[in-house]
Amino acid sequence: MAEVATREFVAASQAAVRDEQLRQALRRAGSGFDGTRREAIAEVTEDVWEDWRQQARSIKEHTIAHLDYYLAMLERNVQAAGGQVHFARDAAQANAIVSEIARQQGVRTVTKSKSMVSEELGLNHVLEEQGVDVFETDLGEYIIQLAEETPSHLVAPALHKTRGQVAQLFAEQLGVPYSEDIEEMARIARVALRQKFLEADMGISGANFLVAETGSLVIITNEGNGRLCTSAPRIHVGLAGMEKVIPSLQDLAVFLRLLPRSATGQRITSYMSMVTGPRRADDEDGPEEFHLVIVDNGRSRLLRDPALRESLYCIRCGACLNVCPIYQRVGGHAYGWVYPGPIGSIVTPGLVGVAQAKDLPNASTLCGACRDACPVQINIPRMLLHLRHQQAESDDTNQRTVSDTDKALAQGFATVMSSPWLLRLGRLVGRALSAPLARSGKIRQTRLPLVSRWTRARDLPVPAERSFRDRWRDELSKGGN
Amino acid sequence: MSTGNIGIPTAEFLASVREALGRTDEPPADPYAPLQDDLAALTEQAATVRERVARELPDLSRQLGETAALRGWNVARCGGVEEALDYVVSLATQLGATSVARSEQEVFESVPVDAALAGVGAMCWPAVYDGPEGREAVRRRLAESGMGITGADYAIAETGSVVVLPRQGLSRLVSVVPPVHVAIVRPQDILGTLDDLFALRRLEFHRDGAQGNGDMGSYLNFITGPSRTADIEQTIVVGVHGPREVHMVLLDEE
Repeated sequence: MAEVATREFVAASQAAVRDEQLRQALRRAGSGFDGTRREAIAEVTEDVWEDWRQQARSIKEHTIAHLDYYLAMLERNVQAAGGQVHFARDAAQANAIVSEIARQQGVRTVTKSKSMVSEELGLNHVLEEQGVDVFETDLGEYIIQLAEETPSHLVAPALHKTRGQVAQLFAEQLGVPYSEDIEEMARIARVALRQKFLEADMGISGANFLVAETGSLVIITNEGNGRLCTSAPRIHVGLAGMEKVIPSLQDLAVFLRLLPRSATGQRITSYMSMVTGPRRADDEDGPEEFHLVIVDNGRSRLLRDPALRESLYCIRCGACLNVCPIYQRVGGHAYGWVYPGPIGSIVTPGLVGVAQAKDLPNASTLCGACRDACPVQINIPRMLLHLRHQQAESDDTNQRTVSDTDKALAQGFATVMSSPWLLRLGRLVGRALSAPLARSGKIRQTRLPLVSRWTRARDLPVPAERSFRDRWRDELSKGGN
Repeated sequence: MSTGNIGIPTAEFLASVREALGRTDEPPADPYAPLQDDLAALTEQAATVRERVARELPDLSRQLGETAALRGWNVARCGGVEEALDYVVSLATQLGATSVARSEQEVFESVPVDAALAGVGAMCWPAVYDGPEGREAVRRRLAESGMGITGADYAIAETGSVVVLPRQGLSRLVSVVPPVHVAIVRPQDILGTLDDLFALRRLEFHRDGAQGNGDMGSYLNFITGPSRTADIEQTIVVGVHGPREVHMVLLDEE
């Protein structure tokens, strides 16, 4: 499995907000993606969009609730089309499967189109250790492979890199002249990879959807690398999380409408490739073997908890990242694993273990922008609160994020807020105590005892001279409107 | 050669999913409606699609042209075969393409591009592997061709997409390896929506006969505009691994 650095969230995010190049890259990407997404929704109208979201959500609800049934149907139909299905409980098993296929088939070169699951598994390293050359072919993935980094966004893996950084990387790693011309950089990648496509023995792809009815794997791409990876090599291996299945071919239409619009604002991507088994006897070309590897790797933990189950409806569009005030400031790497942003803060604790990732559910303002942007209406803030609640109530100190002081303060706050008399008293006392510390009505970034972690980064207003209740009563008695 | 199932046994995996869901192995109590469609229902759905498309064809054709142009196709509406051939020839001339790959599809019987291109000194050849050249030679030739021409199994007005299915004589690589791709779309290829396409394909999949009996064919590809990327600073560049330029030749009639 890919290295997990989720415990470092606080330090990593503090470093990230000071990284000016990263801030620039995030600002550009976030507003760009979200702007075109909104345009695409306006074009079809909000009503139609809501109708699509509702359809997609119902399909996911039904499928995930009967996941075993549809996985069995999928397996039958992949086999009927001449393909092979392999199930893997965890990352080690999934890696072993691909590694074994490569070994049995004498594979020396692999071309890959983008697969977040393969990032999750850390598959490239496993294949490289057995002497297989692995080439990422999506431009963003190619860049981060050369840089030996991990993706920082679900759909734009190299979003954190500026053109200057990519130019520098290409000059160092590929020995080409330094050029910040983006077209030139794309050309360099094209030339470097073209021969690999035709040489490779094995193509590895992810899966955006798996259609149970027909046994098909669906990938959508813009560059054409997905088509080459699934057409040219003699073996095609598809990797998919087990939640990717949808029942009928008919269901695909609504997801093809939602996914590109939510991801990049595109009405459709340049390519959609639906693969059903290996090449048939009459086909001109295509792989001789088709393998589908279906991965659990912690997903059944999310499935088991009814409160977290809807996180498996995610279609990895990245819309929640683009609207999240936290992601937009810290970027993807701070989250410490493969899936960043709001949905990552739920999926990651599920997949790597809650104790490893307890900061993530707290890295949210709960503003709800992610829920509004989600094309399958996943209620992300509700699940973040659920995870926080579990943390606060847990007896296991590894999972607890709430100290006894925090708890006492929260309880005190609740008691005061539910009693008008105590609230009144609190306001008077608070005002008397805080007035000497305040300048123009605010206490500026001071380190108050017990609550310094809160106050050192925030201005606190001095409690008002007259309470809202008093003002309300006075206004009413004046008969004002 | 089969590698066999080398993961954990299916039954064991499915049992663990069932256990997480707290479910027995019964099918869904409330059966999923689309999967209840029998052959008669699918036949009727497909007939409805065909009737509507026939009725709305002029509108759909116009919508296809407009949408395709928005998605990055160069759309050439051609009144007849001569006009289409002129377009292909002038394109090859402009590109200075001396080698043009094409698929071996029915459409080239009525649109004879080989002879027209030969007239301007461009060699148009069918990319078929079982010829004397062999697979590697065909791939090398494809990589050196300036242009690839294919037909379309369907063209979808909603999305501006050309859909290609596996056919004898149609290499998947003709439309993706050369830097310029030309798709020839006939009126009978046009459909309205994604739903139309999937309704027709579901009938093909489920019906008895050559393509039916549960065979989808090894692939179904949508092509919508040129190959592109925005992976560096969200700046769009066309022509990454696929063609930088795509042309849709819309025949008004054959």
